[in-house]
Amino acid sequence: MRFVSHLDIQRLLQRAFRRADIPLSYSQGFNPHPQLSFATALSTGYTSDAEWVDVKLEKNMEAGDFLDKVNHVMPEGFALAECYAVEDKMPSLTALLESADYELTFANDTDYERLKADIDKLVNAEIIVDKKTKGGIKSVDIRPQLINAELKNEAEGIKLHIKGALTASGSLNIELLMGALARQSGREYDYGVHRSKVEFIGGRNTPV
Amino acid sequence: MSKVVLKDKMLLCVEKPARYTGGELNSIVKENAGLRFALCFPDVYEIGMSHLGSRILYEVINARDEFACERCFAPWPDMENAMRQNGVPMYTLETRTPISECDIVGFSILYEMCYTNILTMLDLANIPWRASERGGEYPLIIAGGGCACNPEPIAPFMDAVLIGDGEEMIIDVCNAVLEAKRNHMEKAELLKKLAGIQGVYVPALYNEERGENGEFFGVVPNDPSAPEKIQRRIVMDLDRAQYIKKPIVPYIPIVHDRISLELFRGCTKGCRFCQAGFIYRPIRERKMDTVLRQADELISCTGYDEVSLFSLSSGDYSKIHELVPTIIDKFTSEHVSVSLPSLRIDSFLKEDLERMQTVRKAGLTFAPEAGTQRLRDTINKGVTEEDLLRAVGDAFEAGWNGVKLYFMIGLPTETEEDILGIAELARKVSAKFYAMPKEKRGKGLRLSVSASSFVPKPFTPFQWEPQDRKETLIEKQKILRAALKGIRGVEFSYHEPDISVLEAVFARGDRRLADVLEKAWQNGSRFDSWDEHFKLEAWDGAFVSAGVDPDYYAHRSRSVDEALPWDHIDSIVSKDYLKKEYHAAAEAKVTKDCRLGCNGCFGERYATYCKIN
Repeated sequence: MRFVSHLDIQRLLQRAFRRADIPLSYSQGFNPHPQLSFATALSTGYTSDAEWVDVKLEKNMEAGDFLDKVNHVMPEGFALAECYAVEDKMPSLTALLESADYELTFANDTDYERLKADIDKLVNAEIIVDKKTKGGIKSVDIRPQLINAELKNEAEGIKLHIKGALTASGSLNIELLMGALARQSGREYDYGVHRSKVEFIGGRNTPV
Repeated sequence: MSKVVLKDKMLLCVEKPARYTGGELNSIVKENAGLRFALCFPDVYEIGMSHLGSRILYEVINARDEFACERCFAPWPDMENAMRQNGVPMYTLETRTPISECDIVGFSILYEMCYTNILTMLDLANIPWRASERGGEYPLIIAGGGCACNPEPIAPFMDAVLIGDGEEMIIDVCNAVLEAKRNHMEKAELLKKLAGIQGVYVPALYNEERGENGEFFGVVPNDPSAPEKIQRRIVMDLDRAQYIKKPIVPYIPIVHDRISLELFRGCTKGCRFCQAGFIYRPIRERKMDTVLRQADELISCTGYDEVSLFSLSSGDYSKIHELVPTIIDKFTSEHVSVSLPSLRIDSFLKEDLERMQTVRKAGLTFAPEAGTQRLRDTINKGVTEEDLLRAVGDAFEAGWNGVKLYFMIGLPTETEEDILGIAELARKVSAKFYAMPKEKRGKGLRLSVSASSFVPKPFTPFQWEPQDRKETLIEKQKILRAALKGIRGVEFSYHEPDISVLEAVFARGDRRLADVLEKAWQNGSRFDSWDEHFKLEAWDGAFVSAGVDPDYYAHRSRSVDEALPWDHIDSIVSKDYLKKEYHAAAEAKVTKDCRLGCNGCFGERYATYCKIN
């Protein structure tokens, strides 16, 4: 499932809603499209337990009913975890976001001590990376967007727990962070990325 | 049975990894099965998943408990490299079984320029290319689809080729293979058995007969189990034939990303260049009720928001003016749009158009094919300039501002006047749009004029015709480009002539071309229908080293009495009829649509096969 891109997941949801007979609300205009928007995009290749999406319906539905109907027709590997009915006037999910938690699981043959030393060195100074912007490539410090990073040797393997900023004004990009680690240490680490949680303004676990 | 393990690292370094991971909604995974069938499409996922025929076979085979049918697509060159570097063999998407461990590996062959991808897929599976080098330890390698009507260029690679409609024939083949497997039958014996199934051609049981100087005399059986002629298989009743019930819904966008509803098979127009128009006869319509019921079922199990009414010429469906409004009214409230990919200029109604645009305005495509009435009569394209102008006028009035016009250059008897006629027609269409009052017409006209190059095909009245040489095609493209200059709203596109010439070589080729295919593959040819991958030098080199002259196949005029490499295939339409049509073309004589009365294309032998009148 992690190889399905963000845009493809949007379409996947639309189709699941149609299969579940959910009365989606459509935009007006030349090419009407269903009103559906994600809080944030997920990079292709990542897994996640914490993707939030706003969906507008033509008719009110009970949240539990919505959840059951949709989960009944979702392809394997995708499921809705929770669902809330909200007021129309609620701000967009994107505007409410604050941070995200990531778990990076490293390959079995990773040297824990060496990785720990590399990470300690990385996070204790500015992390200057080249960022592509509209004006070209710019060097920026992404350290301020890294809230916390903790390496643990767990039963399932070595895991790096990262909390990063996820706001409209700036977000932590895991690829850039890990690219900086590889450059600084001169070592290519092999890992998978999972988004385990996002937090909304005020450190809340849900947007409502 | 082993399973291929795909590393994330490998998948993340290729374009669109979801092409290679399967797991889509409605895909069918059977861990245990008596027979495993790798249904291979020798092109990229997005193209292969758009092929209706493969989707039908997938469901037909999987409907039997003891058979597992699994998909396999040609890996894009980045994935081919990644597979080689990581030692990953060609595998099926459903259970990730190496295709070399399947019982049958079947290729859908829809166009000639996919042949090198067949070699890639076999090579990645460590399966020898030549059937003669494969013993019983390898899967049975078979092929079917439109191109199978002249199977000779790929015949040396195939254990069997299925000619005609596959949905019944494939089950006969699977049953025979399963039985052979259970009884530990020798491959040679299985092949003879397969040759007894109607529509199945077993190349090893036939030889090419040639004269002292290599002149081609024919393909003849070398074993009593092989019929002299292989009669094309036809499914007569499409309402009762098994159809798609739960189509796979891909995660990534594919070329035809919608529900396809087949209205009918076959075509009654008789356009003389069109192979599909001859090799899928007789016309077999599906009932309107069947179509409507399936539309409902398929939307609710896929969640698609678009339905396409699919046929060689959907406008000819006998109930089209009942079906279109019914289906549109039915789905509008559900935000499902309806498209008709192949409209006929002379028959559809303005009301249908107006209805169609209530949901979404898809582009409209018309195919006048030639620029003058004389040439349209020669190719038997029963369409007039008035028809076209009326149709586009209706479309413009209904709010359309994008229209595509398809033409061919290099048609038999074509002159400069015919080429200029294309531009003239485009000019009239453009003028029609701009003659409308500003407030009534759409924003700006987008008139795409596409000129493909004529490729003579087997089983058409033009099968004896030479193809224009590359230089001539380029010259004609230049003339047309110049003539289109300055016409408001026109965008011109055309085909790569080198590819069209190769297509002509392989369309009418014989077994000698198998050598050329192998050499071209070794020279790096892959995905030859894609301009960005096509390597002319690889092919030029292959023809030279195989000692084969491409001109002999593409540019030579044949006598109607000459033995043809596909004469051992009986495609039901009689050769006498094709000859008659060939002569009628020379006189620019039109043959009527067979809905208006039988033209006798099947001859006496198969006269009863057609139920149209």
